Amino acid sequence: MKKAYLGIDIGSISTKGVIIDSDNNILLSKYIWTEGNPIKAVKEIIEYFKNNISDDIKIVSVGTTGSARRLIGSILNASIIKNEITAHAIGTLSIYPDIKTIIEIGGQDSKIILIDNGIVTDYAMNSLCAAGTGAFLSSQAKRLGIDVNNFGSIALTSNNPTPIAARCTVFAESDLVHKAQMGYNKNDIIAGLCKSVALNYLNNVAKGKKIAEPIIFQGGVSKNIGVVKSFEDILNTKIITDKNGHLMGALGVAILSKDKPEIEFDFNINNYKYSTNSKFCGKCPNNCEVIFINKDDEIIDHWGNRCPRGEKITNKN
Amino acid sequence: MKKIGIPKALLYYYYNDLWIYFFKYLKLNVVYSNQSNKKILSDGERLAQDEACLSLKLYLGHVKDLINRCDYILVPRLYSVKKNEGVCTNFNALYDLVNNTFDNINILNYNIDLTKNENELLGFLNLGKELGFSYINSYIAYKFAKEKSLENRIRREEKQKYNLTTNNTKILVAAHPYNLYDELVGKPIIDYLEDENITIIYSDRINHKIIDSECEKISTDIHWTHSKEVMASINYYKDKVDGIIIISAFPCGPDSLANHLAIREVKNIPVLKLIMEDLNSDIGILTRLESFIDILKQKKEENYEKNN
Repeated sequence: MKKAYLGIDIGSISTKGVIIDSDNNILLSKYIWTEGNPIKAVKEIIEYFKNNISDDIKIVSVGTTGSARRLIGSILNASIIKNEITAHAIGTLSIYPDIKTIIEIGGQDSKIILIDNGIVTDYAMNSLCAAGTGAFLSSQAKRLGIDVNNFGSIALTSNNPTPIAARCTVFAESDLVHKAQMGYNKNDIIAGLCKSVALNYLNNVAKGKKIAEPIIFQGGVSKNIGVVKSFEDILNTKIITDKNGHLMGALGVAILSKDKPEIEFDFNINNYKYSTNSKFCGKCPNNCEVIFINKDDEIIDHWGNRCPRGEKITNKN
Repeated sequence: MKKIGIPKALLYYYYNDLWIYFFKYLKLNVVYSNQSNKKILSDGERLAQDEACLSLKLYLGHVKDLINRCDYILVPRLYSVKKNEGVCTNFNALYDLVNNTFDNINILNYNIDLTKNENELLGFLNLGKELGFSYINSYIAYKFAKEKSLENRIRREEKQKYNLTTNNTKILVAAHPYNLYDELVGKPIIDYLEDENITIIYSDRINHKIIDSECEKISTDIHWTHSKEVMASINYYKDKVDGIIIISAFPCGPDSLANHLAIREVKNIPVLKLIMEDLNSDIGILTRLESFIDILKQKKEENYEKNN
């Protein structure tokens, strides 16, 4: 029996899963859309792993990260639930030990992680709004009637990117319509959008942070070669992208789970019905909304209450 | 006996000691609004204009919480409390805002505007007069309150000085005290840090005598009196703590300039900026805090290994 470790990264847009061996080699990986249903997405990934894993491998611990990490963590009985910054840094460092800067643009958030000698020294994340992230790009692609997967290659055909204000998605949209009505070429507009994502990132998320080389670009948006090229042009340096760039968070949290006590993983989660429901506590003016995670009829976890009074309510009464 | 209501928001966090000792000396009853809670916030949201900052929304909710519970509600107007300096425009407007938002409200007011030579003492003498006390009584009460509130401040400063000597991981939490200590804004963050065994250094417990000199190292004229404390603390503690967390309410004009000026002075330690608004999700804040603590812990371990 060979020991293996499972890492799941559940983001707003996509869900990523990896299984690694004790030397951090990726044995299996899967990338699917979350589609607003993290439980269904994770079940699908677990089903895929169950059908493809070889018989001599035993999963001894599970880690979860991403915005639904807690929900999925309690469903999978994870031994570690970690934030995506730490998970991304650990995952990336396992493959690129010399990396100094991680640029990460995902579906709804973007972050910069600064690393010195293999240690994270600082980070920043977008605040409040999702301008300039994957969600922004895909909504603009829809508006232009283009598949977001082709965005990058179309952008590369432009020699003259149209300036577009990307600070706010709503403003960008009207700017974009305006530019299209003025007669700008579609490929120039698309290239302009890619450039605006890079500029928005550097002016907001990375503001005041020292971007040292080597730089790696990750997250769903890193698959867009137009944005990669914009970063390279603006920073005037080579940017590393990795074909497994989207898996770094899952990889990192799988590595972190190796240090945790072993809990043998049960692949049969699809035999259970998992559901969530919520209830307002109502015991004080805060009126916290308490979320319950149910496995069949049993509550396996709950959160959302600010104080112990919320512990006493159940989802039944 | 008439009861004076004090909203537990904004100026309360700067001047409560002064107020309470003043009223106590004059043997007046005081009643406070409740700690911030979701109901106070949603009341405030309904009462405030949509572009008001989170802290002002909370303030209006606190005023509403006091209605029918007291005879007066204390709402001062501050325009300039230090020579050649100003304060947040909300503090300028507070009296008029409350007066126009609520019908039939009985406001107890004092005004501080150094540009018109109306200083704090004069404000309190007029306040006493409105409550039926002679100038001499009010003068003694003010002096008493001033002395007591300074004593309390110095006690907090001394405690902080002691906390600074520990080898434990220290984080400066820099924010206006009305954000720092509010039950919905800063308190969950402070609680989280305490659970993580972090020693917290508070921006409002910096030695009040060095505020001006520390600010001068950043810029020779900083306009907002209440921002200076935050800026001075960032500059003074930057070499004495392991990390800095800056909490700001959305949208805050003075903070967006002042915090940025101060952050530029910080070179070697991580800084986390948290902007709080009523749409915040707890999980977003938690992710940021968790990552920040991870960074500090990793650094500490690394240093420990290097030294051994």
